[in-house]
This record gives sequence, C-alpha cells and structure tokens, in this order.
Amino acid sequence: MAVEAQLERLGQWLLEAQMGVELVLLVGLSTSLSHAFALLANRLTPRQIAVRLVLDALVLALAFLLASTIDLILLAVVTEHPVSPGDFLNGMGVALMPGLLYGLVAAPYIADLVALTLWFLVHLNVVTMLHLRFALPWPEALLLPTPGLVIALGLVALLFRQSWQESYRQLAGQLERIGGIAR
Amino acid sequence: MTIRSGVRVQVRGERRRIHLALAVVLIGGLLAALLISQRLRGLLLATLNAAELRMVLICGGSALLLLIPIAGIVSLVSQYAFWEGWLAGFPDVECLRAESEVTAADSVAAEAETPPREAANGASTQLFVVYLDGIHQCESDHPGPISAFLTELEQQLPQGTQLLRGLDTYTVMPVALAEDRGGSWFWRRLFALQEQHPSGLVLLLASVLVQANNVIKVGISSDRRYGPIRHYQLALKIGLRLREHGFRTAASSELVLLGYSGGGEMAFGVADYLSRMVQVPLHIISFCGVFSGDHALERVASISTVVGDRDPVAAFSNIAYPGRTPLLPFSRWRRALAAGRVQRRCIRGMSHNGAHGPFSNRYRQAVVDAVLDLLPVLPGCAPAAAQE
Repeated sequence: MAVEAQLERLGQWLLEAQMGVELVLLVGLSTSLSHAFALLANRLTPRQIAVRLVLDALVLALAFLLASTIDLILLAVVTEHPVSPGDFLNGMGVALMPGLLYGLVAAPYIADLVALTLWFLVHLNVVTMLHLRFALPWPEALLLPTPGLVIALGLVALLFRQSWQESYRQLAGQLERIGGIAR
Repeated sequence: MTIRSGVRVQVRGERRRIHLALAVVLIGGLLAALLISQRLRGLLLATLNAAELRMVLICGGSALLLLIPIAGIVSLVSQYAFWEGWLAGFPDVECLRAESEVTAADSVAAEAETPPREAANGASTQLFVVYLDGIHQCESDHPGPISAFLTELEQQLPQGTQLLRGLDTYTVMPVALAEDRGGSWFWRRLFALQEQHPSGLVLLLASVLVQANNVIKVGISSDRRYGPIRHYQLALKIGLRLREHGFRTAASSELVLLGYSGGGEMAFGVADYLSRMVQVPLHIISFCGVFSGDHALERVASISTVVGDRDPVAAFSNIAYPGRTPLLPFSRWRRALAAGRVQRRCIRGMSHNGAHGPFSNRYRQAVVDAVLDLLPVLPGCAPAAAQE
C-alpha cells in the first residue's frame, strides 16, 4: 500500500514536471547530436548511429535529471520551506535551455568555446533561479548547484569518451601498411 | 609581349585589390555611419522604435553566432561523406602500394616502363617540394604573384629537386572548389556571378566566402576530433600527385612540404600520415604560417618557419592557438621548440600579403632565398649556385 502511494506520488510529480522533463530530454538529444561525428568516425552504420544517438540522449537526460535531483536534495536540506519537486524540475528545465544549442559543439575548432559558454549559461541560470525562486542568498545559490554541475559534467565526459583515437590509429596503420609509394 | 601581358595581369590584380579595399572601406564607413550618425539613428528610430532596433540587432547577432558553427558542421558533412566512402571517384589507398608488394617481375617491368621523372633541371629527382597554398585558394592555378614566386623558386631550386604546385589543398576531392562534391552548385553560381558582374562588392563577397570556407577547413584540421580525417584525405591527395610526378619510395630520397599561411597548418597536419605513407624523411617549411602546433611532429625530419616581423596574421595565430602559447609548455609545438627542432627565419618589414607580403616584388626574393637555405641538402642535389 505504501509503495502504491509512493508510486502515485511520483507519477503526480512527473505530471507536474512535464515541461521540465521534456526540456531535459531535448537537451539530452541536442547533447547527443553534438557527438554524432564521433560515431561516423568509427564507421558505424546509419542504423547503429541512430540507435546510439537515441540511447545517448536518454542517458544524458538521466544524467541531467540526476544532477537536478542532487540540487533538489541539497536545496531541501538548506532551505526551511518545503520544495515542490515538480516546480523545481520545471525551473531546472528552463535553466537548462541553453543546452538546446549543445548540438553546435560539433562545430570544428570553436567547440570548446561553445561548450564552455553553454555550461556557464546553464550554471548562471540555475544560480539565478535558486536566488529568485527559492530566495537563497547569492553565495549559497552559487555553491549549492556546484556538486550537481560537476556530476553532470563528469557523466557527459564519461559518455563521450569515444574511441576517436582508436579509429584514427587504425587509419594511420592502414597508410603505414602500404609500405611506400609505387607507380 | 610577355612583359606586357605580365604588367597587364599585375595592373589588373592591383586594380582588383584597390576595388576590394574600396569596398571594405565603404562597408566599414557605412557601418560606422549607422552606429555614429545621429541623423541616421534618428531616421532608423523613426522607422523602428528603440526596442525594435535592439531586437533587430540581437536577432542579427544571434543569427551570426548560429551561422558560424552551422557552417562548420555543414563543412564536416562532406569530410565524413568521404571518410564513409560515400563519395565515389577517390582512388583507394591500395593503389599507392609500394613495390615490396608487387612481384619481382612486375617490379622490373614497371621500372622499365616508368622511369623516375626528371626534374626541370634535367637531373633525376631526389627531392620533392610540395607547395600548399593559403586560404585564398579556389582553383589549381595560382594567382599571378604566387605563380611568379613559385616560378622564381623553381628556377633556383637545386639540381634534382622538383616543385609540385597547384595542389587543391582545401577541397575534399582532388579538384577545384567549383567542382568539389557537396558545395559545387553553390560555388559555380558564385563564380558565374563574379564573372558576369565583376563589381567590387561581388568580388569582395566571393573572396570572403572562399576564405571563410577555407578557414573552416583550417579549423577542421586544427580540431583534434576531425583533423585526422582531413589529414588522411590530404595525404592521399598528395600521395596520388607525387605518384603522377614519378615519386617512388625506393628511388626518391626526401620530401618537403612548403606551406603558406593556412597551408602551413595543412603541412603540419598532414605530415604524420604522409610520412607513414611515403616512408622517406619529410621536412616542413612554412612561411607566414598559421598553424595550431597540436599535431604529431615526431616523424618530421625538420621543421622551419619563415615569418615577417610585420605579419599580423602569423602573430595572431600565436595567440589564437593555445598549443602555440607559452601557457602550454608541454604542447607538441612547444616541446619541438624546446628540443631545438624548429629553425626560424625572420624577414624584416614583411607582412602577410599585399605590397609587403611574401609574394610582393619587394620580399619575393628574400623568401625564395630563405626557403632555398632551409631546404635539406642531399648528396644528389647540388645547390643552385654550384650548377651555375
């Protein structure tokens, strides 16, 4: 009975946080797309690439949800007022919106700059949201989402640890094996 | 007649440069007028209110910020189309295979049929110099001043040295930009427009677009995720060209990559793969070079750079690429520098292009001299002075 009640409550939260969850999924998809060329570099088939992109998008969305949950728990510990998870997730979804442009990280050479800017904007949004919506003072609002951010960054880096170099080493080996040029 | 046509080409080039400069000044002036002139601001504000004007500026700026990475991503698509084998017409790497894989009889027959090509000065080629052009390149034929520079260099090369020019450095396939897969429809239309309406503005637009396209290729080359695909492709292109010119691993001694501006980045990028392919010592000489310094240089026999002390582009690349700055002392470039593997020549007063550039009458010979001085000395290649 208790489990049923808990599940019902979870379902209600998810319904309340529909917008936030949808946005997080979209950000996950955009982040996944930024790495599409890594899949091409590894010469996967179009079907494998599509499956991999969707799976990566889901895993990334989960990573963002996990980071948001950590922020929510820390917020519940710090603040005395009760925090509605639905409201919080909706707020986080909106704060993550710059991440919708994460696909642009695929751009050559400026990728690091784009990624850094987007992560900075997301963090700034979260800090501002905590300050304005939950009345946290600026220093606390700045510190509180940091563990969540670090975990999200770590998870994205872990997922994107593709074997670029592996495929390129094979490439170099292929050139070396021809053993020189002949007519 | 030749002198007259040369002068005509030079005058035409000068005129084109003046037109371009005028167009730049005009656009700059217009923008300044838009920003500064109260009257124009008043006019604009009469049409649009302050909030709308701000909105237009924000939308324009955002569109530009989106357009730059999108252009880069679109450019990547053709690189990977090549890599995935979707682009037909590019010979397979296997066609370059060395004699060791061919039977002995075939090898002897091939040797008899195709003796190594003789260099311009009549000697059997010992040293191949491959020229990689800057980001202005849109076809195999180089513009007048660059052609003149290369001709001058070619005439003074040591005996047994051959210069390979006209390599399409920035395209995916070994063809000119207007014939390259993916973007040919666009470039053909642009160049047709340029021929039909050779106004300063159209020339400027075409020049900016070609350079933007090639800058993206330089960006791809500098990116550690995508660079290897580009370098593999360029290594194949150079390999095919070398084979056409009689290069054989067994018969030839050394190879030099000579890169100008963005061609320097391509030379540094392609060096590792190319040295694996050709299996002869490979040297890099860049002049007015723009390169990331983040490439594998262990296999390169020697690295030399020629720069002008008034070259803002080469100086900017020292800051734009973190691997070049002293902030990253363990980058590949900094390590090569620290190990004393880089020879540097500075030409006083030389800029990146134009009347003070390396192809100008004023500095051409100085650059040629520096390049000749930096070429590896091989037993079979007598210096130009000795030939005389």
